[in-house]
Amino acid sequence: MSIYSGAVKRPIMTTLCFVAVVVLGLFSLRTLPIDLYPDIESNTLMVMTTYQGASAADIEQNVTRPLENVLNSVNDLKHITSKSRENISVITMEFEYGKDIDVLTNDVRDKLDMVSSAMPDDAETPIIFKFSTDMIPILLLSVQATESMPGLYKILDDAVANPLARISGVGSVSISGAPEREIHIYVDPARLEAYNLTVEQISAVVAAENRNIPGGVFDVGSDTYSLRVQGEFTSSDQMADIVVGSFGGKNVYLRDVARIDDSLEERAQVTYNNGERGAMIVVQKQSGANSVEISNKVLKMLPSLQKRLPSDVKLGIIVDTSDNIRNTINSLVETVMYALLFVMIVVFIFLGRWRATLIICITIPISLIASFIYLAITGNTLNIVSLSALSISIGMVVDDAIVVLENVTTHIERGSDPKQAAIHGTNEVAVSVVASTLTLIAVFFPLTMVTGMTGVLFRQLGWMVTIMMIISTVCALSLTPMLCSLMLRRVNHHGKVFTTLYGPIEKALDAFDAGYAWLLGKVTSFRTLTIIFCLATFVGSLFLMKHVGTEFFPTADDGRLSVSLELPIGTRVEIADEVTSRLVRQWREQYPEIQVINYTTGSASSDNVFASLQDNGSHIVSMNIRLTDPGLRDRKITEIANLMRQDLLAYPEYKKAQVKVGGNMGAMGGEASIDFEIYGYDFEETDSVAAAMKRMLEGLEGTADVRISRADYQPEYRVDFDREKLALYGLNLSTAANVLRNRINGSTASRFREDGEEYDIKVMYAPESRTSIADIENILIYNNAGQAVRVRDVGKVVEHYTPPTIERKDRERIITVSTIIRDVPMSLIAEQALEKIDKMDIPQGIQIQLAGQYEDQQDSFRDLLMLAVLILILVYIVMAAQFESYTYPAIIMSSVMFAFSGVFIILWMSGHTLNVMSLIGAIMLIGIVVKNGIVLIDYITLNRERGMSVKRAVVLGGRSRLRPVIMTSLTTILGMVPMACGTGQGAEMWRPMGTAVIGGLTFSTILTLLFVPVMYCVFAKTGIRNSRRKFRKSHLKNATI
Amino acid sequence: MKAVMITFDQAHYERIVDVLDRLNCRGYTSWPQVTGRGSVDGEPHHGSHAWPSMNSAILTVVPDERVASLLARLRAFDAESPRLGLRAFTWTLDSEGV
Repeated sequence: MSIYSGAVKRPIMTTLCFVAVVVLGLFSLRTLPIDLYPDIESNTLMVMTTYQGASAADIEQNVTRPLENVLNSVNDLKHITSKSRENISVITMEFEYGKDIDVLTNDVRDKLDMVSSAMPDDAETPIIFKFSTDMIPILLLSVQATESMPGLYKILDDAVANPLARISGVGSVSISGAPEREIHIYVDPARLEAYNLTVEQISAVVAAENRNIPGGVFDVGSDTYSLRVQGEFTSSDQMADIVVGSFGGKNVYLRDVARIDDSLEERAQVTYNNGERGAMIVVQKQSGANSVEISNKVLKMLPSLQKRLPSDVKLGIIVDTSDNIRNTINSLVETVMYALLFVMIVVFIFLGRWRATLIICITIPISLIASFIYLAITGNTLNIVSLSALSISIGMVVDDAIVVLENVTTHIERGSDPKQAAIHGTNEVAVSVVASTLTLIAVFFPLTMVTGMTGVLFRQLGWMVTIMMIISTVCALSLTPMLCSLMLRRVNHHGKVFTTLYGPIEKALDAFDAGYAWLLGKVTSFRTLTIIFCLATFVGSLFLMKHVGTEFFPTADDGRLSVSLELPIGTRVEIADEVTSRLVRQWREQYPEIQVINYTTGSASSDNVFASLQDNGSHIVSMNIRLTDPGLRDRKITEIANLMRQDLLAYPEYKKAQVKVGGNMGAMGGEASIDFEIYGYDFEETDSVAAAMKRMLEGLEGTADVRISRADYQPEYRVDFDREKLALYGLNLSTAANVLRNRINGSTASRFREDGEEYDIKVMYAPESRTSIADIENILIYNNAGQAVRVRDVGKVVEHYTPPTIERKDRERIITVSTIIRDVPMSLIAEQALEKIDKMDIPQGIQIQLAGQYEDQQDSFRDLLMLAVLILILVYIVMAAQFESYTYPAIIMSSVMFAFSGVFIILWMSGHTLNVMSLIGAIMLIGIVVKNGIVLIDYITLNRERGMSVKRAVVLGGRSRLRPVIMTSLTTILGMVPMACGTGQGAEMWRPMGTAVIGGLTFSTILTLLFVPVMYCVFAKTGIRNSRRKFRKSHLKNATI
Repeated sequence: MKAVMITFDQAHYERIVDVLDRLNCRGYTSWPQVTGRGSVDGEPHHGSHAWPSMNSAILTVVPDERVASLLARLRAFDAESPRLGLRAFTWTLDSEGV
């Protein structure tokens, strides 16, 4: 018993089977987490090695190069880049996507073991560090405070950070911008000298005084007591009364040589929110945890946390990545709903019967819901890709059901009982239904095999659509006939209202059929003309290709801007602060779209994980801006970013400025950028080439924020000690250097304990005694014999420039010049730049290469084109097998040509670019458009087999298949319309895909309806002529014998 | 006794067996899938790509007195849905065999 007769004969079982699938699907949907993208596994490892005291060049030569040489042999390595800085070497290894990072980590560890003996003795063991998207903070909270500012760190740590860190899934919560408490003992160098004391002595005394020491146990009578000395300070004032030495027989107290300053750490990051001083709380998630879920929990907790804070401390949200995810997903859900509605309307208009419409449309929710089971089983999420897959499929899952229903209806009209009609009607079309599904699977299944970045994205799309197609076919072969047998009637009775409403539609459709038949009669008579016309349009559209630019991914408007500003190196933090607050004021007035503007400047303390991973320093300002939702403002995010870039030109204080659209989404969603990599060993030569490149790029139309990666030489003061003189005084270099460090940076004498928290006690020169070179030169250094010598007597204080960080890529020195591209296609800038580079005078041994997003784009495009070829071959195979012919599939394939024409035309008209999304749309078209051809050719050959002449078969076949072709095309096109016209958050991402499919399918449907029948005529005529000739030959031969 | 050969579009199958039951004709032999075409008009039933529908055939031996009513019912079916196709032929048997 076949599946359809079984289904028709056992309606209850069939119904319940599908009910079970739906229930399971809905249950899975409930458990599905929401995310923006499918799980993109990290593909980057970092190897950090410290080698104290080595310069950048030493680090490069002795640490980075040997490590690179060994690490380069790890499998699946795509690029190896390194940064050699003073004291540290950081090697970043980028692997191919989709490889198991744990296995690679082990490989890297093995390689490091091999090279460990070749490392310099003082270099520390390399540390492997996994970098992943999980490091990107999911929430940035702003804290505004006035009176509580001095104690803000403790308040936030106790009342906000700790409770938040307890939420499951939250990885780390760090506070930046709120300085920590520190107790300073500011000594006066003149008095120290007078009393013959040193900073080191004072540190030692403070440390010795601030102790609790257990004294053991002793027995008194029948009891045992423990003995303790409780010496720790209970308040910072107590320190003033410590005796630090004696002079002239009198005690010298600490208060005589120093003042005690119980305040905040001297150098800390400062954060401003909307122009007011405050702090920033950064919430990172644990690896693999769900952002939306965590952010929901955090947001739910905030009001209760706010209650526990002092009244002047206010919490706010700067960035909530989950907000964007939620909005994006919501707008996609809306898109799916609209698509569903449109498809139902189309089906109803063409069929004109509500029962039939219901039978067909029921397959949509079933196939869609069933795909949730797949997502739940494989541990995937509801994300852009999986939801787009739903949206794409809506128009296609009904196709099979429509074919089945049509044939069953024909049987019923011939007089069959609905039950018999359902069985035999389905039986007749089962093979072609399966074949047409196979052509679609031939398109979508290979998507699961794409490698690289695009592969990560489209693997899920491929699986989802393949599964939905299979489910819809199963549905069409079991549920649809079963419902037909129950719901369809032999005689249709229509009400008056229906007739008046539907009458005109039916008339119009009939007229359309007749018009097409007439047109078909004409074009088959003027075959050469039609073929020339169609081919000319195709060739003409290829010329448009030149005008359609290419890019990697469209820029998404998620309402987030990040700005990084750099003042000249060494600028004091106060200056950075002053300039930036001026800028912020200007921007807040100029752009009412700004909701929150937050910036941080200053060097980060080492215990702030998030801040220390980013560039920081007193001259660096990093800014986060949140704009209102895209729907609520007129200006697009890219427009605002461009205006901001222009504003920044009026601030010469900033040496480097960069405005980045989108948060830290990486390659996807941000503005397009091109990197030019300059390889070369010589610093000066590469520097000058980079500068020339920068000038050249700035001269091109459409570039912005041109940056050179190599930092400037950093000015610093260096004390050059004379070793001979040091030796003369019985000193060595490290003793002398430590003396300097203890006075300027301070020595941490001990820790002050209060309420279970520990604070550093630092002994150092008072700030006013360390403001000039003379102050440094006057520092006294004591030797073991107690003799003092001044720094200026044993060394010189000189100004120096430290060489910048040495960057390398693939084991060669490199400088990257990168530019952001606005308003013009990436390909255009790349072409122009390459042209100019050719004309540039480049010294020998220096190479310039395009990289970054451009490289990613080229890789992806190459992958996708390969995929397109593979898909074309597979589709051809499926069709050739179905038709048992080599010619028919070739005729049908010609419609793919017009699909591509349509894609170019609509991209050109709508001003979209050819990017990964529109290319995927074009690839999907291969499967979608051949379906039209299959339906046409199938019916025309059927007519021929029924004995009609070629032309009659073509005209009648075309006429009778026009409606199914138009109907399936319209369901797909209208299913895509909400995608192409979406204005919600994130809509920029899939708009090109929707547009490409609509354009390609519309254009190819129109041309296919003319071109394919004409081509059929041509081939059939040749076929007939050949067979006649053959017959005549054999006949003649027979006659002569 | 007469033999009645009925060939018809397979959609009719259940109804015809039902008629045989009602007329108390217990014995019959059926071929669920046979192909063929009518002498005058109607779509051929070839089970092919061009003519996908199929026929069934039933051969039954009925007492002479029931033949007329059986044929009458079959004729009614055919009239009801002429496009499906249903034909019945009778012939007289020499003996009843085993």
